[in-house]
Amino acid sequence: MPTHATETQKGAADRLRDIESVTDAGLARLSVDDLLVELLDRVRDILDADTATVLLLDAPTGQLVATAARGIEEEVFQGMRIPLGRGFAGRVAAGRKPVAIDDVHDADVINPLFRQKGIRSLLGVPLLAGDRLLGVLHVGALVPRRFSDADVDLLRMVADRVALATQAQLSETERRAAVLLQRSLLPDRLPQVPGLEAAIRYIAGGEGDVGGDWYDMFTLPSGWVCMTVGDVVGRGLRAAAVMGRLRTAVRAYALATRSDPAAILERIDRMLRQFEPGEMATAVLALLEPSFDRIHVSLAGHPAPVVAGGTGPATYLDVPVDPPLGVAPPASRRVTTVDLPRGAVVCFYSDGLVERRGVPLDTRLGRLRDAVTLRPAEDVCTTVMVELVGDDRPTDDVALLTVRRLDPPSAEPLDLAVPAVASSLRDIRAAAKRWLTTIDARPDDVIDVLLAIGEATSNVVEHAYGPKGGLVHVRLELQRPDVVVTVRDTGRWRSPRGDNRGRGTHIIDAVTDEVTVDRRSNGTEVVIRRRVGRAGSRR
Amino acid sequence: MTSARVDVSVDGGHVRIAVAGEVDLANTVVVEEQIVAAITNQVTSVSVDLGEVEYLDSAGMRILFSLASRLAGLQIAFEVVAPVGSAARRLAEVSGLASLVALRPPLDRAAG
Repeated sequence: MPTHATETQKGAADRLRDIESVTDAGLARLSVDDLLVELLDRVRDILDADTATVLLLDAPTGQLVATAARGIEEEVFQGMRIPLGRGFAGRVAAGRKPVAIDDVHDADVINPLFRQKGIRSLLGVPLLAGDRLLGVLHVGALVPRRFSDADVDLLRMVADRVALATQAQLSETERRAAVLLQRSLLPDRLPQVPGLEAAIRYIAGGEGDVGGDWYDMFTLPSGWVCMTVGDVVGRGLRAAAVMGRLRTAVRAYALATRSDPAAILERIDRMLRQFEPGEMATAVLALLEPSFDRIHVSLAGHPAPVVAGGTGPATYLDVPVDPPLGVAPPASRRVTTVDLPRGAVVCFYSDGLVERRGVPLDTRLGRLRDAVTLRPAEDVCTTVMVELVGDDRPTDDVALLTVRRLDPPSAEPLDLAVPAVASSLRDIRAAAKRWLTTIDARPDDVIDVLLAIGEATSNVVEHAYGPKGGLVHVRLELQRPDVVVTVRDTGRWRSPRGDNRGRGTHIIDAVTDEVTVDRRSNGTEVVIRRRVGRAGSRR
Repeated sequence: MTSARVDVSVDGGHVRIAVAGEVDLANTVVVEEQIVAAITNQVTSVSVDLGEVEYLDSAGMRILFSLASRLAGLQIAFEVVAPVGSAARRLAEVSGLASLVALRPPLDRAAG
């Protein structure tokens, strides 16, 4: 005998009103959080329950997490988590069927909150979207009662509503997270390397869902430049996260390993197999020598880059394709070395660029090859995208990295501002040396210019500033046929101290064509001119 | 941080000190200490080999000037070895070290 007024005593009109209450179109305008609260309140009202709770399934842990609750808000505040199969909610979820407990005293209910609140009867239904379990919705009563079939039906109706709303939000949240992650991992600006220009195109294919394609380009302290395009198998947040880890690992290994792309890929392969079993990726990894004369390429299940250079049309690099990364057994990887003449253009890309359902791959490859010509990297990227992507939104991600070796090399001035301390001298020399290499200076001239810069900057370090220190500004520019070096500081110089000091200016005089020193109380500017010949020519 | 390597080999009373890498204001003190430590009371001649030096300026030259005057006072023979056309040789000539100290190119390696 029911101890509480139940459904059987309500008329049909009342039932209709109840149903409308939970299917009210007005609810559609609410945010998911507000919707849940509103629904739970209405459910409590209709079923005359004291508590109502929504728990959502956290798939990675297999636990139900209290997400919204009325009458027992502590479940949410305390981050209540119930493992699938355990306790009341766990049983509902595991069985995917409604469960009613007439009196908790007789049942195995692990949630101490229920006892604390004095809940006696429970009714729970699974939240399902198709055959996917999203969570559990349950109501509780402080006075023991038996829930009727009509109660169960009503709760199921509410559950459908809740399931729809939460599923939409979960997908949207995950999709946004994946896009954010991908954007943060793939900056759209590449490093400025004097003597090279680069451009990228990146399109996330599919339904706005993200994939695992990446591109990267970075310089190493040794002066080598690394370029890579890769493709993690799969889509969504997981693929984007794996992609991020791989991209970072490539940088770390490139920094630590000798300049050999095959060796780097072998380490990436081992890393994937050890730490991310089941994940697979393809990649092209290229290392460009500091002189830019030669490029070394290794392929892991990835399409070969296109090169246009010197004379003749573009060709696909003749590089053997080793297995993808992450597949067993481990492969010994190969590297191919190719000359890169001045003005040459190289395109690295992912297979999403060339694969198109219904179109022969060779046709697409031919079109790509024809689109790569000796023009600025940005223009090449634009042409490739027009020819290969056109008006069709790709179904797969597309990553395209175009790099061009400039000819003549960029003659942009070099400007540095660094602390005037002894440890900066080496960095100044390294930057100057690189700049002099890109303007193709004769080695003997490079020695003299570096010496002049070294002396002038050492002088600033030793004499310009007191303990507080300051900056030294160095500028190198090309005014053919001279290199003009300007070393500037804002200090009030003190006179040389100690023995054997002051040889620096004499040396600068000896190795350069012209030196002017403008010393004032608020700073000093030294301008050095030195005629510089091109490598391979006589002075 | 600028890095240099100082390798010392002793043959009787002769000490050969080979310097490799870069020497500038940042590491002259350390390099000088290592060079001086190699010259004991038993030494009769010193040669400093700059064949592997990639960068050297007046800061590093001070070490050699200082060493030159000290060794002259101790009557220890001193020579500096630097390949023709190298940065070190250029500097040795331009700084005036060449007029103070015997400066010669590296000899062809003798057998043994």
